[in-house]
Amino acid sequence: MEYLLQGFMQGFKLLFSGNPETYSAITATVYASTLSMICSLSIGVPLGFLLGYNTFPGKKVVRTIVDTLLSFPTVVIGLVVYAFLTRNGPLGGTGLLFTVPGMAIGQTLLGLPIIIAMTANAVESLDKRLPMTLLTLGATPVQMMWATVLEARYSIMLAAMAAYGRIVSEVGISMMVGGNIKWHTRTITTAIALETGKGEFAVGIALGMVLLAVALLVNIGAAGLKKRAVQ
Amino acid sequence: MTTPLISLDKIRQRYSERTVLDIDHLEFEEGSIVGLAGPNGSGKSTLLRLLAFLESPKQGTITFLGRPAQAKSTVNRQVTLLVQEPYLLKRTVFANVAYGLRIRGKNDIPGKVARALEIVGLAPTVFAKRQWYELSGGEVQRVALAARLVLKPKLLLMDEPTASLDAKSAELIHQAVLSARDEYGASLVIASHDMPWLEGVAERIHYLDSGRLVRTV
Repeated sequence: MEYLLQGFMQGFKLLFSGNPETYSAITATVYASTLSMICSLSIGVPLGFLLGYNTFPGKKVVRTIVDTLLSFPTVVIGLVVYAFLTRNGPLGGTGLLFTVPGMAIGQTLLGLPIIIAMTANAVESLDKRLPMTLLTLGATPVQMMWATVLEARYSIMLAAMAAYGRIVSEVGISMMVGGNIKWHTRTITTAIALETGKGEFAVGIALGMVLLAVALLVNIGAAGLKKRAVQ
Repeated sequence: MTTPLISLDKIRQRYSERTVLDIDHLEFEEGSIVGLAGPNGSGKSTLLRLLAFLESPKQGTITFLGRPAQAKSTVNRQVTLLVQEPYLLKRTVFANVAYGLRIRGKNDIPGKVARALEIVGLAPTVFAKRQWYELSGGEVQRVALAARLVLKPKLLLMDEPTASLDAKSAELIHQAVLSARDEYGASLVIASHDMPWLEGVAERIHYLDSGRLVRTV
């Protein structure tokens, strides 16, 4: 028990003394997760909107596929992205393996199903009177689509938070695609795994506290958004 | 002889082979306030949707200012419908009323919104910043009406506008209807079961039964 307390104490010291190795991992995590969130939202929101707004043959099949991808293991995504980015892979020439943008590609694949599925659900569950209201106010089809996305904005933000929570806490993709390279692609989660393996609990606990703080902020934000989405 | 604002000729509307509306001829003049009455299922709401150009009839022609018009064409920016249970966008009262003006690229939006809110009996200083969920049922109805009045439509259609309102709110809707005609030059077609209210506001009333026009008073 004592070594745990010592770990917490040292963890606080590392955080507040500005330990460069700790902050390098935090920076890599923020960089990779920000890149992947931008990509996930840019691709996922339009696709989720199309899936929720339209009715087409095979829609149920597409929904089932998207829902299945929600539980895709991160190591499998890591393996697939690694296979594509490795020197002999189809995208080997891009030089993205063991880089933060490479990790962001994998994390985008992790976040996309969450954004698509939750956006589609949000659009489908909008009030059935909305299209008629927009039509009677003279909205064009494009204006109707944009207004519909805005109506679902709180639920879409909730989707973004859920995706961010999954992305920021994953290990498999960062480890396999990033390679856990110190000062370069070592993220909070891969650093925790490494430091704990080395018996360096303090660094692991310091980074764990950062992750917990992020999770807390995400949950506080999500609670507020859920309230708005229900209203 | 002046051209009617909107006229229907040999209109038949069917849903799944069931005829819900069968009208040989009906026209509405500019600046008029006309009521539609009849039991449930008599075709009032269907007639309003056709007049709003939200759907096309299976047979017959609808002409707007003398020209044949199709559903979801540019004409529907001159016609607007207030449904029985209106939906407000998840925005402030101001943003709800301003929405139609913004998508049309209009100027002086704050002034126009304030005037429309005044017409429906909602003080702009009190209500403009309120969120959609901070309104009572009667206030929602009046904000939705203001959102349509502000567009200065040539034809304003209302489906059961007083169905869930108390006497005071119904009177405010009555005054707003008269203002829409007198101040904005709108023509109004109002479907209602509230006969005393409808008789008080409409210049004439068409009675429908089983999709047919049975009499006009």
